[in-house]
Amino acid sequence: MSSRILQPGEIEQPASAIPELRLPAVDVFDSRAARFRALAAGNTIGACLGFLAQVADAQQSILQAGSLPRVADAAQREQASRAGMPPLPAQGAARPPGWTRVFRSLLEDLSRQALPQKLSAQLAALMHSEDAWLDQQAANILAARHEQLDLAAAPLIAAALQVIWTAQAATLTPAEVGPILQRSLCPVCGSHPVASVVRIGAEVSGYRYLHCSLCNTEWHLVRVKCSNCESTKNIDYREIEGGAGAIKAECCGECRSYLKQFYQEKAPELDPVADDLASLTLDLLLDEQGFARSGTNLMLFQGTE
Amino acid sequence: MQVTRRRFFRVCANGVAGSSLALMGFSPGEALAETRHFKLTRSTETRNTCPYCSVGCGILMYSLGDRSKNVRSRIIHIEGDPDHPVNRGTLCPKGAGLLDFVHSPNRLTHPEVREPGGKEWKRIGWDEAFDRITKLMKDDRDANFIAKTDDGLTVNRWLTTGFLAASASSNESGYVTHKVVRALGMTAFDNQARV
Repeated sequence: MSSRILQPGEIEQPASAIPELRLPAVDVFDSRAARFRALAAGNTIGACLGFLAQVADAQQSILQAGSLPRVADAAQREQASRAGMPPLPAQGAARPPGWTRVFRSLLEDLSRQALPQKLSAQLAALMHSEDAWLDQQAANILAARHEQLDLAAAPLIAAALQVIWTAQAATLTPAEVGPILQRSLCPVCGSHPVASVVRIGAEVSGYRYLHCSLCNTEWHLVRVKCSNCESTKNIDYREIEGGAGAIKAECCGECRSYLKQFYQEKAPELDPVADDLASLTLDLLLDEQGFARSGTNLMLFQGTE
Repeated sequence: MQVTRRRFFRVCANGVAGSSLALMGFSPGEALAETRHFKLTRSTETRNTCPYCSVGCGILMYSLGDRSKNVRSRIIHIEGDPDHPVNRGTLCPKGAGLLDFVHSPNRLTHPEVREPGGKEWKRIGWDEAFDRITKLMKDDRDANFIAKTDDGLTVNRWLTTGFLAASASSNESGYVTHKVVRALGMTAFDNQARV
């Protein structure tokens, strides 16, 4: 048996410093759609996941078509960077001009696909909604004010916003984002994370990243630390008994919040947004134990009790 | 606890029943009913330092159990701490075998003594062990302590006993160890974690 001897440079080297920022890949919605489809089979909310796969497909085709409105131009980013603020802020500024056009093309794309009747009717009605109303809804979504939302429209509006923010985030360089001063919110857009992922791969193996709910940027946070209050005491991990160990909730006994943590080692194809929704049962069980969720998933908006 | 701009979102049965999912025409009923069939298990990931050598690699120890009184916690896995600046998630073969070291049936869990001239190790109690160590140290120090040098200089020297301290000690235990050992006059003093 002959064995091949690896030459210098053939083995991927670990990074000399921890990569603090992982900007979104341009095919992020493509892999999300595939993951939604894979998870839909056998899931109790499989029909919803199947629809969200179609939404992710539409997001990907709009992202690829290009010519999307910009969240912030170079001068604004420069100014934000000097002030230590996120370069593509989700809050505080007006929505990117023409964003409703992106929303409408997303609806058009979806309306060409096979959808349940009730949903088709909703999409048709949304097509004719006024720009001012849409803009108000978008402002509420971006500011995490979920009380005054049209819940049936919100995930679709958020889907359009995700495309716009993700597309521009993908064009940034880590140097433009600057040092990460606080890690509980996204350093690129200031939004909540959806979940965190312990990654695999030579460069990032074992590092834990928080995944942005809006722009799909990932930023590093050391393991075993509450992503909300930064406590390192009283952290434990809860998962569904008999699970594969791929999904655990990182629960903080100090602030009583949790964020899901996915282990890519156990589920290489995982997508934080899709896997988060497919594990809704874990959220419900944690609520029963008195933990509040600190992550946001823009594809599911809760009703107010 | 540091308060941030993060806000919390409760995910509960009522909320899901009236959520975007339901309003878009999908039924959450099955998901809500399914919850009753599942239980949660708890585990922890704990940072520590490898006890073996003076490199001082960071480790993450995974254990099962919720630290309540009637449940016995058990370490199930140990790996290098990826965030630790010394080893960045890696471990040497000895460190990688730590789990077996923790659970080894041959592990010493109580003090033993083999007296001078004796052939057998015999088990003794903790109090007995401390008394014995103290007594032997004091006897040796009383017999060999040097208070003055030949030319009349006052010193604090106890040269017949040495001290080797452990690795993986905290700064605080290092400080206390140093205070005790030097105050007694020992000069042969080393620490495995001398990094």
